Amino acid sequence: MFSSAILAELISAVGADGIIVEKNQLQTYECDGLAALRTIPAAVMLPRSTTEVQAIVKICVRHQIPFVARGAGTGLSGGALPDAAGIVISFSRMTRILDVDIPNQRITVEPGVINNHVTQRVAPHGYFYAPDPSSQTVCTIGGNVAENSGGAHCLKYGFTTTHVLGLEVVLPTGELVSFGASTLDAPGYDLAGVFVGSEGTLGVATSVTLRIVKKPETVQVLLAAFDSIAAAGQTVSDIIAAAILPAAMEIMDRLSIHAAEASVHPNYPDAEALLLVEVDGSAIEVETQMQQVRSLCKTNGAWEDRLAQSERERMLVWKGRKAAFAAAGRIAPNYIVQDGVIPRTKLPVILEEISRMAEETGLLVSNVFHAGDGNLHPIVLYNASIPGQEEIAVDLSMRILHRCVDHGGSITGEHGVGKEKQQAMGYMYSEPDLDTMQRVRCAFDPQHIANPDKLFPRPRLCGEKTGPYQLHPLEREGTAEFF
Amino acid sequence: MIEQLSNSQMLSAHLGTIVGSEYVTIANGMIAVAPADTAQTAAVLRFANDNRLSVSPVGGGTKKGWGNPVNSKIALHTHRMNALLEHTWQDMTCTVQAGCTWSSMRKALARHGQFVALDPLWPDRGTVGGVMATNDSGALRLKYGGLRDLIIGMTVVLADGTVARTGGKVVKNVAGYDLHKLMIGAFGTLGLATEITFRLHSLSVSSQSFTIVSPMVEPLGCFLLQLLDSHLGAQSIQLRTVGDSFGLDIQLGALPEVIKGQSALLLEMSQRVKLSVEKASIEVWSNRDFFFADANGFTIKATMLPSDIARFTAIIHNLGGSAVTQATGMMTAFLPGGKEETILKLRQEFASSGGSLVVLQQPANADVDLWGLPPNSFPLMQKIKQQFDPNRILNPGRFLGGI
Repeated sequence: MFSSAILAELISAVGADGIIVEKNQLQTYECDGLAALRTIPAAVMLPRSTTEVQAIVKICVRHQIPFVARGAGTGLSGGALPDAAGIVISFSRMTRILDVDIPNQRITVEPGVINNHVTQRVAPHGYFYAPDPSSQTVCTIGGNVAENSGGAHCLKYGFTTTHVLGLEVVLPTGELVSFGASTLDAPGYDLAGVFVGSEGTLGVATSVTLRIVKKPETVQVLLAAFDSIAAAGQTVSDIIAAAILPAAMEIMDRLSIHAAEASVHPNYPDAEALLLVEVDGSAIEVETQMQQVRSLCKTNGAWEDRLAQSERERMLVWKGRKAAFAAAGRIAPNYIVQDGVIPRTKLPVILEEISRMAEETGLLVSNVFHAGDGNLHPIVLYNASIPGQEEIAVDLSMRILHRCVDHGGSITGEHGVGKEKQQAMGYMYSEPDLDTMQRVRCAFDPQHIANPDKLFPRPRLCGEKTGPYQLHPLEREGTAEFF
Repeated sequence: MIEQLSNSQMLSAHLGTIVGSEYVTIANGMIAVAPADTAQTAAVLRFANDNRLSVSPVGGGTKKGWGNPVNSKIALHTHRMNALLEHTWQDMTCTVQAGCTWSSMRKALARHGQFVALDPLWPDRGTVGGVMATNDSGALRLKYGGLRDLIIGMTVVLADGTVARTGGKVVKNVAGYDLHKLMIGAFGTLGLATEITFRLHSLSVSSQSFTIVSPMVEPLGCFLLQLLDSHLGAQSIQLRTVGDSFGLDIQLGALPEVIKGQSALLLEMSQRVKLSVEKASIEVWSNRDFFFADANGFTIKATMLPSDIARFTAIIHNLGGSAVTQATGMMTAFLPGGKEETILKLRQEFASSGGSLVVLQQPANADVDLWGLPPNSFPLMQKIKQQFDPNRILNPGRFLGGI
């Protein structure tokens, strides 16, 4: 709870209707999509403009109040988890589309704009916004920027960073600056490049200029059923080796097929593995490539393939895939979605390892993944009401990430590190790597008030030196312990 | 002088203990040192940092005139670090040392029908590290993006000798900050990349280039926008000056049967607006290489929105200059003569249209600020430099605003 003086400052920044301090209302903001972690913030601010955001951050700077920006709260790694003594800056009122420039294929939006609304706004002109996280009907562009969100179609079209041209940012020091521009290669360091995906630790974006993409002339989705995940995985490698770059390639295993079927009835075949391949482009290009894809599926033993050609058929196929996470709730009361990445060729090995590790724990793990770029989404299923099972599930999900790193991959392909995976960062990066990242953070946020205690394995202060583990000043004082 | 010489000799003797004395030479008071690997690079930089000696990384030397002049004590040559370390063609990634020339890398990757989808200047001499440090790109950027989209990981040696790895070897990875994006285009002022990991693309099975020549630039500019708004799916598009006329080049790259269909669409679209399409040679895509040959003029890199390409091409043409502008809005232009005020006025015009102008090369007697006015984020850039290179030993002063 803030002092009355600070509260008065906050109210003067956004007005009395722009601040939430009632505990029952604050509970709405206690977690994001990683509901296992919850903290009620001291206040939630609802700014309407860049000026108001800047005023809020300046108050935070003056009083060293930690803050975290929040879009729709759909993040899966606890990136928007509040600090108990901190402020949540919610972008639910900054939802304007500021400029649409079709000839130059650009759009400028406020951070609270929903991902799908960008596509809806430009669709009448034959364009779309390519990054498509599964939560695209609710997640916001600000959140996408913070997490460098991907989605099924980033195999061909790239991630959020590919599509961000310019940003207006309130730095953690309270200054308002521009990164990048509507045009490419603005002179100077690529600050937009490092800002995208920094998980709210380098400042708060208040407007974003995005690149939009011409909607392809033809889109076809093939659904192929296999007797094993290995066969589906081999097909993916063969498609890539044939110099075909599909818009998306996804694999679902038996568990996730059943869950999706029960949840949204996409009429999937009852198979050990399903491979979804979406090819887009000019009519002749799609026709030629899809013939090759079908032939490769057959070669690898696909016993059924269905070509979804109409918009309705395609939507139904994708509906099942995009509902996969939520559908896991039909198999077990609780689940953890992980986000490891492996080099594509390691797919059969890691899937076997996951299966073995799951068996050892007695838990079920369903697998849904972006097969084209090796981004796994193992869903560890458990029942939190059984004592000790949650801990086993968490441990299993982290061990899966470790195996991904061992195979030359990453702990996260699109969900971000956030609070959930900060300890796993030490597994992927060495101390000098992390210290170098920390130099960036110190340049942006010398007070460490922008989404502190996220992303890095342990809290650090600017000026800490590389070397053996050193006590944090708070540890030294005996006021905190870190585990 | 004697003191300076002995100092240089002493320094070179020490550097010789790190890289081998045969890889250290002294010329005009500058020490050239060529480390063999990341560890030696780190030791050289640590030594330089401890002794406050400025260092300029050198690759093929093709772009050493770009940026503000620097008189560094040490020239750190990367030519011994020239190997393609890894090409996991099934995963479509590769890791290459910074001193490898672009052509060597390209040749090696082509064995598996793959490439780093970028067409930089002077690939035979330019190194991977140099291309990265200057963020060079060509017309392929329209389809494949720039280095920001193609580099997925890097090993960087910081000024104090810290070796940091950023990103990884998988295309999809959002763990931690993308430090490599800070390094791209930083002109070696934040660190020296010794190894770079790229995502790869398949080489086009076949390609075909076309040109439309017109004495008027406006119809070409309009057609360029129509092509961008179409389903043609061109690999590259550029508008350029051709003597007294203008040329719009289009490159298609795909399977032969797809190119056939695309060519028919291109023909149909051009006929609709009464423009005549001719087949062109692949050489049209190397035109900007020649804008650096004449030292008596200004060579600039300018950026603009695609809708401004025709207008700015006409402006350059009216000034007696030559220009090649990619459909992404990236222009390379040459302006003969040495009128500084012309450049300053042009810079203002680009800026007022949301773009920028950087001078890459200027006549010996000219003294134009190469970079132009820094943006409002410049103080933050200075803080980043301070964090990465507090003693300012890496290419001091070469970058924007004297960073």
